[in-house]
Amino acid sequence: MTTQENPLGSIYILSQAIRTVARNAALQSYGVISLTPGNVGESVSKFFNKDADFGVIVKNEEDGVSLELNLIIEYGLRIKTVTDLVAETVKYAVEKTMAVPVKRVDVHVRGLRVSNPD
Amino acid sequence: MTQNKYVLPEEKERHKLLKSPINGEGLMFLFEAGLIWLTTNQAYVNSLNVFPVPDGDTGTNMVLTMQAAFKEADAKRTNNVGATAKAFAQGALMGARGNSGVILSQIWRGFSRALDHYETMDPNLLMRAMQEATNTAYKGVVKPVEGTILTVVKDMTKAAEQAVRENASLSEMLLKIVEAGDASVKSTPEFLPILKQAGVVDSGGTGLYYIFEGMIKMLNGESLDASGAILKPLAELDLAHAMETVEEGQDYEVVIDFAPRPGFQLENYYTELEKIGTSIQVGEGDGLYRMHIHTELAKRYDPIAYTETQGIVKKVMMENLQDQVEERGEAKDEIALTPVNPGEIAVVAVSPGRGLSSIFASLGVAAIVEGGQTMNPSVQELVAAFENLPTDRVIILPNNKNIILAAENAAKVSVKKIAIIPTRNTPQGFAALLRLNPEGTLEENEESMLEAIQEVHTGEITVSTRSVEIDGVHVEKGEVIALYDGKLVSSAPTIEMAIEELIGNAAMDEVERITFFFGEGLSQTQANQLADGVRKDYPEIEIEIHDGGQPHYQLIIAFE
Repeated sequence: MTTQENPLGSIYILSQAIRTVARNAALQSYGVISLTPGNVGESVSKFFNKDADFGVIVKNEEDGVSLELNLIIEYGLRIKTVTDLVAETVKYAVEKTMAVPVKRVDVHVRGLRVSNPD
Repeated sequence: MTQNKYVLPEEKERHKLLKSPINGEGLMFLFEAGLIWLTTNQAYVNSLNVFPVPDGDTGTNMVLTMQAAFKEADAKRTNNVGATAKAFAQGALMGARGNSGVILSQIWRGFSRALDHYETMDPNLLMRAMQEATNTAYKGVVKPVEGTILTVVKDMTKAAEQAVRENASLSEMLLKIVEAGDASVKSTPEFLPILKQAGVVDSGGTGLYYIFEGMIKMLNGESLDASGAILKPLAELDLAHAMETVEEGQDYEVVIDFAPRPGFQLENYYTELEKIGTSIQVGEGDGLYRMHIHTELAKRYDPIAYTETQGIVKKVMMENLQDQVEERGEAKDEIALTPVNPGEIAVVAVSPGRGLSSIFASLGVAAIVEGGQTMNPSVQELVAAFENLPTDRVIILPNNKNIILAAENAAKVSVKKIAIIPTRNTPQGFAALLRLNPEGTLEENEESMLEAIQEVHTGEITVSTRSVEIDGVHVEKGEVIALYDGKLVSSAPTIEMAIEELIGNAAMDEVERITFFFGEGLSQTQANQLADGVRKDYPEIEIEIHDGGQPHYQLIIAFE
């Protein structure tokens, strides 16, 4: 959870909210096919709830958050370019919409989807 | 291969392209023309970038991707159209840069798949190639956004299908594709409101359009090296350094090219690598895999040993990242001051921030004294800065009204001839410095610089440290305040609003150029956003953004 102050009081942003924004931004990034559970806890929640927000792990840091993305990427693309772009896109979306500084984005490519084998 | 060297194919060749189904050589003529025409229009495509898409140089990225593709195909020249397209797609994959570059590489990948094993390409095959290109491009994204390059390639494909129904020749078909591309590009603002707001069309789609238009122009024997449209870039996002961080303890970058053994399991491969390091990426092309990983010192040979069990290792590259970071750090720490020749005039500037110091240095300052709003340098510090310079004529730029007095005292205690230009802020300092003539007399320089500082106006944006009323403006502690030429003009809850009010106070009809120096508490991206806000209202004014690195002031703005 991150806290911001405004003249009327405090604003609390929970990790769940950041996760949703990060998730949608990642899915709109070219080459990202889906997100995938990043740890055991997420795998369990996926098992019980198909719509669970898995794939993005939010960690609180001093003045901001760090994000871990677990992705499946389309086969046949330059992975380095795709991952660079998704990291930038997610950082941008979270910072722009929630004003929470993103200190790190770690991208884990957990697999590739092969639509058209060469 | 640059556009200067580009020569249109001979008329005989072009005639051949117009008539018969085309072979590998013919396809290369088309690709080359596409690349050249795109390169010619690169600056225009770059200028179509709309904030807030974090992709600042679509044109450049597409050109680099096309260049990589062409280079690859050029190295494997063949008359077989399928093999040519395959090499081209291969090069595009390896050289893909930026979002548009990645999508473009995917388009060529689909395109080449349809041509696989064909000797020549007829209109029917071109249509199928376009269909495959579209399918493949759309497969790369879960939530396709219309009004982008995806829409343009889709519309081009529809035109190709229509052309086949009309029994068009290859060149007629290309013309239809280009016409459809043009209409599609023009329609992109209808899909994406953000394009409409910015009054531009989609950049990636435009790039794709130029590639195909280049082909038609070549077939018509038109010149490809004169651009029809030249525009200045709207936004200059510097995201190049965004990815330069190194994880704690992950000191080595290892890249391995290898041919996987039969039955190679990518998922297992990743799982094993994750035990060794981070930032794991595996790419593939032409049967070869390329693996990239960051590891700690002790484990730097582990990825190689492990990969050897998974396939045949062809090439290994290893780099000490810590070393790179340190080198970069050192380079940043050193500010290249201008050496003074004996007898010439030396300039000493007081600078509040590192970024501003390097700008001063690049403009010809011989010595820099750190200092500013809350950290006025002492008289001794000022004297020490110029006392050892091999000249007896010195100009001091205090760049802050609180330092002017210290500068005057420094002049009194020194035996050298000193002129003080009473610059009250950094932009005035820059303006004065631009008039420096080291070989002129001190008086001439002083006169010219005093004139220069009248011509520049300065805005400063900072956060109020206490509640106060100044110059008739009431300020609450914590509010953003804007100063124009040192006078408080506004206090607002956000930087955006403060800038708006600040600009309302500036004599904008006399302003030709605005320079933003962003400092503590503001990122390059934020500065870019703010500058874009101003650009929207004053499109005719040139805006530059520099990292000033000054404390306290989020922004120092020079109006010239």
